[in-house]
Amino acid sequence: MRRLGSQPLDRPASLAAVLRHPQDPPQPPCPPTAQGVPRHVSPTPDPRLRRRDGFRKDDADPPPRRVAAMSVAQRVSQELDVELGQEIGYSIRFENRTGPKTLLKYMTDGQLLRESMHDHDMSRYSCIILDEAHERTLATDILMALLKQIAARRKDLKIIVMSATLDAQKFQSYFYNAPLLAVPGRTHPVEIFYTPEAERDYLEASVRTVLQIHATEPEGDILLFLTGEEEIEDACRRISLEVDDMIRESDAGPMKVYPLYGTLPPAQQQRIFDKAPDALRKGGRPGRKCIVSTNIAETSLTIDGIVYVVDPGFSKQKIYNPRSRVESLLVSPISKASAQQRAGRAGRTRPGKCFRLYTEVAFKKELIEQTYPEILRSNLSNTVLELKKLGVEDLVHFDLMDPPAPETMMRALEELNYLACLDDDGELTRLGSMASEFPLDPALAVMLISSPEFYCSNEILSITSLLSVPQIWVRPNSARKRADEMKALFAHADGDHLTLLNAYHAFKGVEQNGGDPKQWCHEHFLSFRHLSSADNVRAQLKRIMETNEIELMSTPFQDKEYYTNIRRALLTGFFMQVAMRESSNSKVYKTVKDDQLVMIHPGTSVASPYDWVVYNEFVLTTKQYVRTITNIRPEWLLEIAPVYYDLDTFEKGEVKSALTRVAEKIRRRQAIKGGR
Amino acid sequence: MSDSEEDYMKMTFPPSPPSHTTKSTSTSNPPETSLQRRARLRREAEARSRPKSKSELLAEADRRREAAHATSLLNDPSTSAPSKSKGLAMMAKMGFTGGALGASSATTPTAATEPIRIDIKDGREGIGLESERKRKLREAAEVAGEQVKRARVGEDEYRERVRREREAARWERQVGAAQKVTEGMNEEEAKAGRTLKGVPVVYRGLVRKRVEAERERRMRYDLEQALMRSSKLPGYDDGEEDEDDRRALGKGKTTYVVAEDLDEEDEELEAFEALEPEERLRRVVEYLRREHRYCFWCKCAYPDEDMDGCPGLTEEDHD
Repeated sequence: MRRLGSQPLDRPASLAAVLRHPQDPPQPPCPPTAQGVPRHVSPTPDPRLRRRDGFRKDDADPPPRRVAAMSVAQRVSQELDVELGQEIGYSIRFENRTGPKTLLKYMTDGQLLRESMHDHDMSRYSCIILDEAHERTLATDILMALLKQIAARRKDLKIIVMSATLDAQKFQSYFYNAPLLAVPGRTHPVEIFYTPEAERDYLEASVRTVLQIHATEPEGDILLFLTGEEEIEDACRRISLEVDDMIRESDAGPMKVYPLYGTLPPAQQQRIFDKAPDALRKGGRPGRKCIVSTNIAETSLTIDGIVYVVDPGFSKQKIYNPRSRVESLLVSPISKASAQQRAGRAGRTRPGKCFRLYTEVAFKKELIEQTYPEILRSNLSNTVLELKKLGVEDLVHFDLMDPPAPETMMRALEELNYLACLDDDGELTRLGSMASEFPLDPALAVMLISSPEFYCSNEILSITSLLSVPQIWVRPNSARKRADEMKALFAHADGDHLTLLNAYHAFKGVEQNGGDPKQWCHEHFLSFRHLSSADNVRAQLKRIMETNEIELMSTPFQDKEYYTNIRRALLTGFFMQVAMRESSNSKVYKTVKDDQLVMIHPGTSVASPYDWVVYNEFVLTTKQYVRTITNIRPEWLLEIAPVYYDLDTFEKGEVKSALTRVAEKIRRRQAIKGGR
Repeated sequence: MSDSEEDYMKMTFPPSPPSHTTKSTSTSNPPETSLQRRARLRREAEARSRPKSKSELLAEADRRREAAHATSLLNDPSTSAPSKSKGLAMMAKMGFTGGALGASSATTPTAATEPIRIDIKDGREGIGLESERKRKLREAAEVAGEQVKRARVGEDEYRERVRREREAARWERQVGAAQKVTEGMNEEEAKAGRTLKGVPVVYRGLVRKRVEAERERRMRYDLEQALMRSSKLPGYDDGEEDEDDRRALGKGKTTYVVAEDLDEEDEELEAFEALEPEERLRRVVEYLRREHRYCFWCKCAYPDEDMDGCPGLTEEDHD
């Protein structure tokens, strides 16, 4: 690593995130001051700015965040008339466009965290600006705790934390009462309306409210917040139909309805910036657009022209409970802070109105003050592994702004111990150290590292990549049957993981044979975008594997053990995510050790699930499902994860007795073999 | 014929399948035969293997999840022992002694000690609807609670009333029984006179009631007969009926004679009837002892006035 020179200009880079003040005039960059702090204000807001990327698929909505740092850097370098990657650069996961001349580097919080694993003092930077700290992502919280530690060691380091919320005092006191600089936002007043009584059906109420606004309010666009893709598409359909009626019957103006959610293809996301439609005829009522969005539009995205906001008060939030080890996305009430943020969206261009679909009493009494930071809602095994790698020894007294529940920490340590990433003393093992090199959940990383033992690291690499991107299966409402038929072409009777692999191999086959993969994906109801990004992830992971000298190999396809090897390799990472069938003809499974009842998600391609399955995901709705499953044999559990499935410490129950029978069988078989 | 093509026109009803309860009670009384036992075991096995309904499953899954969420891993003996949870052991090594994580409780006084609750939202109810509903339920419950309280008061009253009524009815029956005994003993006197006033007041009510009932019956009978005769319906009349026939057929003039003073006021009886049944019984019993040396409770007559051997006047004395 380069040593820092004494000249400020020799300092290779400073980290910056970006302020967003559209009204601020573009400023020429100040030359680095004596302290080497580049002052910088972004000239225009980037609509999709979000400094978060990564592979954790369970993010509530993975919008095109990876583009954000990149596009801001691009814009700034244009404004300053320098070449991107020289003075101004960016670094997102797996893509680093910086050079020796770089002064200002845009990056995501996760990326800075990864970087600091190898540079505990962040010695490359003289100033770090942490933007959007109010979002309180896992990485932001960890970074703040780390920066607090580093600040004590490095007196020369400047830290600027930018937060958009009113609880700036909390940040201030956390950072040793640092000076607070208030930057007033320039927003217009927003009038807030509540409903007189609670709504029976918030979706119904949302549609009704949007139509009412369209019928009675003057010109201005509408933003409606809903929770997920399905709901949003449903609402769009209903609103469009009703508006058509309104135009026909009561000469209403035209209204364009656009959905907006993370998994929407970028081209369609871009449409929300289209101009509202014109009046149907001269002198007719003006047209408007209505955007139906998840909470992406709450903070990370700004759409000009919004005057009316409809807020039913819900969003999908990740939640984790260490007691049942359930991690899932659940529709939950938003916080007061979130509701205020949503309302604020109506006042960006001129005074606006916000319609809250709940009573004022409910706002005061039912909503929590602040959204829980991600660190309180997540499984921390990945974080704990990162912290260990960052050299944090005492996790119990690690100075986090909001420390997680002790049980969450306990589970994380326990899981890492079972995965052999931490030894019994809590020290990082060689496997753990290697696993932390991968931007993956520890289970996936361990599976990947162990896969050569099963002669299928190529295949496990592909599966890992496919599990790290959103669902590759496209299943539009209009063509569900056709989509299912197409999926059946790839179906493997023994596991959804294998079905994914089949689809990926077919996709690669088309590419290699010179076909048009885009067209092919369209015909086969596969997401070209997600398959390509899986391909990209695969290439990145492959590089890390090569650096760590993990051999890439395959069992010959003709070998009858080809798929069995893969199924066994899955267990090296996912032995803690196994479910056993309750009774022979039942559809109900029971997760081992946690004793939760689950059903197999109906989207599975496994024709006849075995009595034992490994699952990738626990889905909690009003029902409990396991999604993406593969048939396994219980013998493998005893063989591959003998510590976790140690019968002496296993809790009494059906699972234990079933495993005991299996162990007995193995013993008998070995005795027979030995006798021969 | 299969069940699906049942003949709805046929007028027979299949015997209703023996219900579970009747069978189980029948097995409990006489010793269970081997056939019955086999049937029972099969039935029980079926019940066990019957796939649970969706709602049952959901409820069960919810119950288990809630159960898991309600038990802290730190308190659960199966996981909290350091030997069991290596995670906890590691934390203990880092100095965890319970409470919350974090630098110190001074800097983060609000640090979480419990995981965030998982609340699963069912359906599309708006914010506040549930609490509004709960509030309404609570209010309704409060109203209902008051009603229950009131009803409870009423309930006690009711019990008391029923008890009193039962008691009174019992006394009344005793009175009736004693009066009958008395009447039986006074048979001769009863034949003697036709006036009610001649009957001793202690059982005059009984006689009077009977006479009244008899007259009522008679009158109704006469009315019916009169109606029949007056109707234009062809009657059976062969012209050969003699007096006896007519009498046998009830066509003769009714010659029933009621007690002469039946319609007269009877103050003495009224005064007697107004007494509490206990008192009336006592009087009848006393009358029997006095006139017949008969004890209603011993159910026997004694040879002399002293009634030697009878324990006393009241029922309790005879317990």
